[in-house]
Amino acid sequence: MIDFLQTTLTSFVALIPVTLAQSLILGFVVAGIMIPFRMLSFPDLTSEGAFPLGGCVCGVALASGLGPLTAIGLALLTGFIAGCCTAFIHLRFRIHTLLAGILVMTMLYSVNLRIMGRSNLSVFGTETIFDWVPFVQPGFPLAKILAVGVITLAIFLALNFFFTTEKGTAVRAVGANPVMAEAQGINVWAATIGGIGLAGAFSAFSGALMVQSQGFADVNMGLGILINGLAALMIGEAIVGKATVWRQLLAPFAGAMVYYQLVSLCLAAGMPPPDLKLATGAFVLLMLALPTLRAARGRQAATPRESFRE
Amino acid sequence: MLEIRAARKVFYRGQPDEKIALNGLDLTLNSGEFGVVIGSNGAGKSSMLNAISGSLALDSGQILINGEDMTGLPVHKRAKRIARVFQDPMLGTAASMTVAENMLLAELRNSRRTLRHGLNAKRLTDYRERLAILGLGLEDRLNTRVDLLSGGQRQSLSLIMAVGGSPDLLLLDEHTAALDPRTADIVMEATVRAVEALKLTTLMVTHNMQHAVDFGHRVIMLNAGRVHLEIGGEEKTNVTVPDLIGHFATKTDSMLLAS
Repeated sequence: MIDFLQTTLTSFVALIPVTLAQSLILGFVVAGIMIPFRMLSFPDLTSEGAFPLGGCVCGVALASGLGPLTAIGLALLTGFIAGCCTAFIHLRFRIHTLLAGILVMTMLYSVNLRIMGRSNLSVFGTETIFDWVPFVQPGFPLAKILAVGVITLAIFLALNFFFTTEKGTAVRAVGANPVMAEAQGINVWAATIGGIGLAGAFSAFSGALMVQSQGFADVNMGLGILINGLAALMIGEAIVGKATVWRQLLAPFAGAMVYYQLVSLCLAAGMPPPDLKLATGAFVLLMLALPTLRAARGRQAATPRESFRE
Repeated sequence: MLEIRAARKVFYRGQPDEKIALNGLDLTLNSGEFGVVIGSNGAGKSSMLNAISGSLALDSGQILINGEDMTGLPVHKRAKRIARVFQDPMLGTAASMTVAENMLLAELRNSRRTLRHGLNAKRLTDYRERLAILGLGLEDRLNTRVDLLSGGQRQSLSLIMAVGGSPDLLLLDEHTAALDPRTADIVMEATVRAVEALKLTTLMVTHNMQHAVDFGHRVIMLNAGRVHLEIGGEEKTNVTVPDLIGHFATKTDSMLLAS
């Protein structure tokens, strides 16, 4: 028993820096899931396709000799377009948000394959943004943690600023009550398309960083990213809450950091990796079911059901 | 000034359940005039209000506000000129946002939204003053989420939001119907005070015949998608509830009860 704990702990601790770097990168995809869900009441599945899209675009760009920043820029752009497509399909054809997301995500799989021309692409050895971090040896987790940590902080502050401006408040109103938002002169189409586009750009950004970090792109790299992201978001909201704008914005980043350490701990304890998705899914289900379960036991008044756009 | 010219709207055209919602409706409301719209269910009251606000596109006809053609404009563009209080208190406010944020959204209804910080100190002071007029204590709850307010408080907030910025046209869509009688009176009183103080051009739909008798300059009765009867001026001051009910094509007990 002591032996088991010791080996678990040793391998977990050894993995902390690598996991932290990975979770900071994936924090953006969690943000790309949170913005549609919480800010726009638009359950969006595009991230499952936009994440590998960003990765593939970045990979191909790097392989063709473009700089790492240009590669990220292209990934952001394509991710933005993917998000806009989902929002447009929903708004124009009155197709359910989830179905619109599934359509775009499925089509993106082919697009990703077309972009790369094959199912995976190694870009090992090309220059990445992590090579530019001063004072640390490139290729080590610390360089990634510093680089992505700084970017995360900057983006968090920028989002926090935006969502309290006049424009940002209007975007949140679209999520809170689209009928009211429209009656207050807010262009619901523009806010939804822009917001979901931004979320797609975040997911793609995450994919691009991941490719630069791991040195290869793969069309299957997005598999299950959505459910992982949701689990991370739930944990983040449980820890930092979601009552105010800055808490809601902090939740995805904090949640990603905690969630991936938990996964790492489970794996270190010997959980077979194939079971991971089942465990994650069960966890998300539990978190979503919790308010209903509590209400059924009568411990607490039933919280109002979340209302989403359909 | 609001002008509706020969507005026509048919639902389910060419199908067995075809329904003519607006049948060449003509209506003019002068600047500063308070019109009260009554009519039985299906008379076209909601269709007319939705056509004015832009959420219902007309088959033919025109909507003009202060002489400017609104007919082809979407809801959010018309919102520069039109403010609306909905029947459902849930519909008129953003529930998951705070009182102050809702006030901000309404303030920005007819201006460009910038990338500047929204809720600055000057605005908060202004909101506190405007909400204090209601006497409901909302001025001390600026940071409360609106879904924690009662229906009456939310509807009062909707009203303050709507009359702020003096819209060219105020639409009241049975805005006291979902409230208990006492709260309804408070909201109605606040409505009349604001409309008179700001001389707002107002169109109020109501099923409450007493309200139609007590308030407004003119009663407009709709039937089958057009104006059936208008009572204004001297006649309006002398009209009684039974008079109005007498004009309904089909009388129902519920109307008498509602009065």
